[in-house]
Amino acid sequence: MSKREAGEEMLVRKIEQGTVIDHIPDWKAETVAKVLRLDKLARMQADVSVAILQNVKSQSLGRKDIVKIDRWQVDERDADILSLVFPGISVNYVNEWKVSKYQARVPDVIEGRIRCPEVSCISNAEREPVVTKFITLKRERLLQCHYCDTLLGFDAVPDHVSG
Amino acid sequence: MEKSDFIGRDVVSIRDFERDQLDHLFDSVEALEKQPRSLNDILEGKLAVILFFEPSTRTYSSFHIAADNLGMKVTGFASAAGSSVSKGETLHDTIRMFEGYGADLFVIRHARPGSLRFAAEITDVPVINAGDGSREHPTQAMTDMYAIRKAFGKLDGLKVGILGDLRYGRTASSLAYALSNYDVEMTFIAPEALKMRPEVEQYLEQRGATTKSETDLKNVVGDLDVLYVTRIQKERIPDPTEFEKVKGLYQVNLEALARAKPSLKVLHPMPRVDELAAELDATNYAHYFVQAAAGLPLRMVLMNFMLGGAS
Repeated sequence: MSKREAGEEMLVRKIEQGTVIDHIPDWKAETVAKVLRLDKLARMQADVSVAILQNVKSQSLGRKDIVKIDRWQVDERDADILSLVFPGISVNYVNEWKVSKYQARVPDVIEGRIRCPEVSCISNAEREPVVTKFITLKRERLLQCHYCDTLLGFDAVPDHVSG
Repeated sequence: MEKSDFIGRDVVSIRDFERDQLDHLFDSVEALEKQPRSLNDILEGKLAVILFFEPSTRTYSSFHIAADNLGMKVTGFASAAGSSVSKGETLHDTIRMFEGYGADLFVIRHARPGSLRFAAEITDVPVINAGDGSREHPTQAMTDMYAIRKAFGKLDGLKVGILGDLRYGRTASSLAYALSNYDVEMTFIAPEALKMRPEVEQYLEQRGATTKSETDLKNVVGDLDVLYVTRIQKERIPDPTEFEKVKGLYQVNLEALARAKPSLKVLHPMPRVDELAAELDATNYAHYFVQAAAGLPLRMVLMNFMLGGAS
């Protein structure tokens, strides 16, 4: 175990099963929690625990945040959305102490996870059976609502994650 | 370019049409104007369902008359008041219901942006967007372009000013999208609060369209071949104080056109409030009644194309 890892270990133990999200920009762990709706998850899954480490020393970033979710594997589609907001993030799945890195990719289309910022968009109409859908404009770092064309910057995605 | 390119397709956004398709449509409208009865009763036995969740005069009437002329049966409603929509029925259920009654074509206007893209996903029956909130009004853009072509015999090489509420006015965005198919220089004239929406600017930039922005008509009026005037969309501006700030900011009258070319044509999708003075009606600038009239043959040709009637 390296000295750095030992330092982290003093704060939070290793997990047997779950997800470790690493290389989060410093003080942005709460944004990650927001995108993953971890508060809702913790309410619904009684045995899930979440550890948030902030201001951890990092060789590549200087300082970084880490989120450990014990006994829960983050959905790959949510990991992909995280990679929109934080391109350098690492999502690691832990299974019986073994760690495997998920290669997050920027999706071409995102369905059902993000609300359209245009409040009057048909996809925000309460009783219509419509699922939100966004097309990714990668070069521009924008999402475009498939229905009303409204643009949403990647950075603004955390504020529009569906409850 | 064949008429069959239109058969069974939806008309949700003007961006779904390419230049050769639009030119073919306009050629056919021109032919219909020369022989106004040539399409009468050609779609006899077909059912047009016209659902206007928002009120309208010109668009509703022109679609209704166009469908009548083509020999179609017409049903639906002209406003949500008095229909089951006022009891809370959804767009989805309304479409499914009329689909069950044998609709061959839907013409829908709805207040919510994106509602027509959704409508087209609900049903396999062809759908025409007759206005979805502040976003698009593709048949108005087709009408507008046809009216411009009628005045100048072409679209390429023209300088078109689009004035007014470019943020909430769906005809302005649809026209700008449509003109990007041609070699047209577009000037957007609007106060800061009513500028073109970012997604429209982004699309035009990606298409390599020639555009510029202005806040004052008098700085550019002398250069323009076409001035497209729009009403401030009071009903779509979320904050009433914002409307108070922008209302009455511009009025196109003889004084405003003092430096205009004599050949300038003024268009307006109507209805007008106070942004377009009645004193222009009797001048050669006025092209808006020609424009409004063009909506009827254009919608006849389009519906005939979509339903594959013989020509």
